[in-house]
Amino acid sequence: MNEQILYKHYLETVYTYFRRFIELSREEFDFIAPYFEIRKFDKKTKVLKIGETDKYFNIIMKGIARKYLMVKKKEVTIQLSTEGHMIHSEISFNLQQPSDCIIEAIEPVTFFSMSYENIQLIYQKIPKTEKLGRMIITEMFIKKDQRDFKQLNKTTRERFLDYMHNHPDMLQRVPQKYLASYLNIKPETFSRLKHLLRPKRNVPVKE
Amino acid sequence: MQSLYEYITRFTNVTQQEFEQMAGLLETIHCEKKHILTHKGQVEKYLYIINKGLVRKFFYKNKEEVITQIAREKDLVCSSVSFLSQKPSEYVVEALEPCTLFAMSYDNLQKIYSMGYHMERMGRLITLDWLLQKETWEHDRLRHEPKERFIRFMNENGDFVQRVQQKYLASYLNMKPETFSRYKHLLRG
Repeated sequence: MNEQILYKHYLETVYTYFRRFIELSREEFDFIAPYFEIRKFDKKTKVLKIGETDKYFNIIMKGIARKYLMVKKKEVTIQLSTEGHMIHSEISFNLQQPSDCIIEAIEPVTFFSMSYENIQLIYQKIPKTEKLGRMIITEMFIKKDQRDFKQLNKTTRERFLDYMHNHPDMLQRVPQKYLASYLNIKPETFSRLKHLLRPKRNVPVKE
Repeated sequence: MQSLYEYITRFTNVTQQEFEQMAGLLETIHCEKKHILTHKGQVEKYLYIINKGLVRKFFYKNKEEVITQIAREKDLVCSSVSFLSQKPSEYVVEALEPCTLFAMSYDNLQKIYSMGYHMERMGRLITLDWLLQKETWEHDRLRHEPKERFIRFMNENGDFVQRVQQKYLASYLNMKPETFSRYKHLLRG
């Protein structure tokens, strides 16, 4: 698909998503649409570095990105996101202050992004987007709480199975060490747990 | 109502009239120490602003209580995900002292939002504040050693030592009560 068609396709995706939350006419959306930018990054690009102020709110249209913290010299993955998800440093973006985390492309990624200034402009020009913003933030809050809750309340095995069940393609797409870090499981334990994913056989078969 | 006014104006300016409309939709609740405001499995009906007293929020990990919030005067507390999603609560909300609370029901909050975009904006900014607090809490928990977490927490919440049982503070900081006791010498001097 050429860029023009792709751009239109992305806009339609976003328009459909927005209308899950508020009524938004074509004319109103046409005002918002030009503020979206397509941003592409190669695999392993650090889209946001520690100390930089996050300028963009990103929706992933293609690829996978992760967010991580440096704890001593170790990377701790706190978000793994794929097509349809949003990724940004919530704190750095919303408070417009230097980031304490890193956002990195795991695969080549295409973001559909809007800058902080432009989002504020849209809130001013189309006040009903205040409600849209509130509802998107509410959804993010609920998701984050569910993740925190699982991290604190579920066993290692439960976290592993739960995640693999809900995200079956991630094992193919994401290096294991990132998945293990995200689920707060030691890499060795993670490898061991993988046998749980093989289908059970009633009759022994020769390999 | 001063506590509510101070809380709201952290996020947005409201006119006297808007504030009175909001205040008119609040219920005042008095409760005893140990009163359970929200049970596990119950849908959270209210958002509470604390006028007087202390409230904790926790969940059960097997039989252990894990505290995720300790709230005092001028703080907002509720089983937030249950309140926002209107689904059964995973958490328990309990008074730790006799409390006076201003309670905003879910339905009344929707009425406030329908008063205008100004109120939607307030809602957006308050929800965003919750999100950022949660994010900050997660980063702190991952980045800082227990000892560092203890010192940071005590610097900001010194008054809790007098008011809250140690085992609760230890649970909130995700450390054993013995570890908490051991760190207390750091506060002297």
